[in-house]
Amino acid sequence: MANKPKIRELLDESGCAHNKTKTSGCNATVPGATTGGCAFEGAQISLFPYADAAHLVHGPMTCVGASWETRLTRTSWPGRDLTQMGFTTGISINDVVFGGEEKLRASIDYIVEHYAPQAVFVYSTCVTAMIGDDIDAVCRQAQQDHGIPMVPVHAPGFVGSKNLGSRLAGEAVLTNLIGTLEPEVTTPFDINLIGEYNVTGDMWQYTPLLEELGIRVLSTLSGDGRVASIRTAHRAKLNVLVCAKSLISMPRKMQEQYGIPYVSVSFYGKRDTSAGILAIAEALGNADLIGRTRQLIAREEARLEQQLIPYKEIFRGKKAVLNTGGNKSWSIASALQDLGIEVVATSVKKATEVDKEKARQYLGDKGVLMTNPGAQQAKIIDETGADLLLAGGRSLYTAIKKRIAFADVNQEKKKSYGGYAGLLNLAEDLKNALENPVFKNVARRAPWEK
Amino acid sequence: MGEVSHRTEKPLQVNPIRLSQPMGAVLAFLGVDRCMPLMHGGMGCTSFSKVFFTRHFCEPIAIQTTAVTDVTAILDGGDSSIVEAVQNITKKVTPSLIGLHTTGLTETKGDDIRGAAKQVNFPIVYVNTADYEGGMESGWGKTVKAIIEQLVEVRSEVRTDKVVLLPHVSMQPIEVEKLKDFIAMFGLEVVALPDLSTSLDGHLGEKQSTLSSGGVSVEEIFCLGDAGTVISIGASMQFSAEALLKKNPGMQHIHLDHVQGLAATDTLVEKLLAVTGAKLPPLGIVRWRKRLQDVMLDSHFALGQTRVMVAGEPDFIAGACQALSEVGARIGLALSTVDSPQLDSIEAARVMVGDLEDAEKLQAEYDLVIGNVHTETLAHRFGKALVLRGFPCWEVVGNQLKNDLLYEGGAYFLCEAANAAEAGRMNSHGAECRVLSAEG
Repeated sequence: MANKPKIRELLDESGCAHNKTKTSGCNATVPGATTGGCAFEGAQISLFPYADAAHLVHGPMTCVGASWETRLTRTSWPGRDLTQMGFTTGISINDVVFGGEEKLRASIDYIVEHYAPQAVFVYSTCVTAMIGDDIDAVCRQAQQDHGIPMVPVHAPGFVGSKNLGSRLAGEAVLTNLIGTLEPEVTTPFDINLIGEYNVTGDMWQYTPLLEELGIRVLSTLSGDGRVASIRTAHRAKLNVLVCAKSLISMPRKMQEQYGIPYVSVSFYGKRDTSAGILAIAEALGNADLIGRTRQLIAREEARLEQQLIPYKEIFRGKKAVLNTGGNKSWSIASALQDLGIEVVATSVKKATEVDKEKARQYLGDKGVLMTNPGAQQAKIIDETGADLLLAGGRSLYTAIKKRIAFADVNQEKKKSYGGYAGLLNLAEDLKNALENPVFKNVARRAPWEK
Repeated sequence: MGEVSHRTEKPLQVNPIRLSQPMGAVLAFLGVDRCMPLMHGGMGCTSFSKVFFTRHFCEPIAIQTTAVTDVTAILDGGDSSIVEAVQNITKKVTPSLIGLHTTGLTETKGDDIRGAAKQVNFPIVYVNTADYEGGMESGWGKTVKAIIEQLVEVRSEVRTDKVVLLPHVSMQPIEVEKLKDFIAMFGLEVVALPDLSTSLDGHLGEKQSTLSSGGVSVEEIFCLGDAGTVISIGASMQFSAEALLKKNPGMQHIHLDHVQGLAATDTLVEKLLAVTGAKLPPLGIVRWRKRLQDVMLDSHFALGQTRVMVAGEPDFIAGACQALSEVGARIGLALSTVDSPQLDSIEAARVMVGDLEDAEKLQAEYDLVIGNVHTETLAHRFGKALVLRGFPCWEVVGNQLKNDLLYEGGAYFLCEAANAAEAGRMNSHGAECRVLSAEG
């Protein structure tokens, strides 16, 4: 099946630094000692933000029953927000025995009739991949009959991690959508945003600035995305990979196929936001644009600094320990430093080689890169006299024992910390964390323990 | 009685409320002290379930996976990944029990988990929970049955003062505790299986545990066979009670479809009085019955003019519908995740197995929604009042402390529903007034 992506090829990503040293790629799982989501979840994260498309999960109940309406990815699509809906064939034992293709086709027809989506993404899952349902054939036939794109997504959970699933999702878009439609107009400053999912509206913190500069977001994968736009993505002048190593195959392939260069950026914190916007302007290579961009950055940074003055007073001399995963190990560290907080340690347990290098850059020689934060962080808090622990819920007990302020890093799933304006949200949350006495109060001894 | 439809006619589910059997199994195992649920399937099944319950309970959830891959799915019959998983788990921690259960993936390939469990040199319970059959409620029920069959010792003598309580899956931790306390007030010793009231009740422990941090102990489970009485709550728990009766023919069985509302609680009291031979229940219980009676009168005006949609697991909707019907609320739609014998006894204009798309189509039939977090969008879209109940309830805190059961919880429940219904009417009335004044 020519349509099916080659998994081995995707795992051997030449854009990934660690593939020079590892032979197993990103795919190793150990029974009884594995955490993290599956390939299907990765595909879901990458594609569900297309709110004008229906996302039909061909599988049993766990796959979408437990996972729909879970991510606050925002959209400006005026129609019904299909991202926040759950569609599943919810296959039964009967389908397992006799095959689920008919049910899948009937489900597609039902969705087209009742919800008139711009496209239907059809996700295979472990069970339907095992029983061998030919979702490519069903999609091909349905696309012919309904005249809208039907995109088979071959990312059943058991092929690997979330990361691989995101790549497989990118592959599905590259194969089935990109290059299938011409844009009505093009501009010299057309870009694609790849790996920006607009969680909590992150993307809208910086896209108005791009617009002001005359940079047009031609399409996205997939925050506030539209199917019609991503089909025209091959006409962009630049691909911008946003904070997402998992999708790196995609811009690389688009460079090979369509000659589109790419830059990799992050929009967390002041310095990274400025650097990101400037990198886009420089890659587009227009002297006037670069000049205007520098002016805009200067203006925005000055405005932000003004707004940060009261916060910086509070944060002066404060030290933080950061325990989070992946690119957040450095991107949040950078944001904290922008607020005047010293980051004394960060976790690199789940970080890639590139992330570790960046974390070292941001933290300097003195900073600790924790490889086993669960065991290390309490000791580091004692040694450095840290005032604040930024971590997931698992680290609550450390904060209570050490009686220091705690901020849940996963708050970013509810509130945007992106761009210049997002840094103010982060500052406000950290101020509240530092001022909140709850951790000291909860740690009070009970009267019968005195 | 209204229309009852036991199955859906659509080819797909749109905005599903049905949850899977493996998730019910996980939750049941988490009600056993120092247990490690081990899901035999892809790592995503486990990850989704872990995140799902973490967000519902705001607590860390202990769970592991056999991490079946596309390669092991073909080459391994399950035994090697299960044995390896147990080895890796027990390298780091020493659980009192491994709770092994299957998923759609491993059921499709037909793994023999019974055989695999025999190769494991560690206390283990195994149960088949395909996620293409049944739902969360049946997964929980099957797991309790498996625990009983595989762990409880056969006995012939009975202790008449000992009761085994088998709660259904939708009972929140505090509800299990309240029911245990209620029974204990009659002078009986109670053991609940599973017991979420000491594991997922949201207590601050000494440190973060990597295993379930409370629940019924494995030793207590071994000895359940000497109980004089087993009380099962919910149709899904009948099979588990029957399995326990096989361990000791001298045990008596009390079954209740639910313990919500005045009548159902009265029935439980009657049966408990019969067990103990007492004439009167404890004073506290008598007092709470009077309070419930009063709340029923206070809330009947608001609820008597309210049409309700109740969505959730069958054992839950049966109880909630009954409690609401007792004060004159009209159940416009009882929406069930899966089929169950419970559905035939629910008093409602319409009872159906379905999804939230069905609920949306029937939105003209109700004013108040009682359901999980996914019903929130629906309630907002159509301007309905909302009481959050069932799985999952994300983005709210305190789910484990919600008590709707017996006289006491019944009173809280009716107050909350009546207040929500009234606030909903005020809002829509306010909206109408604003429209009128804008037009005028």
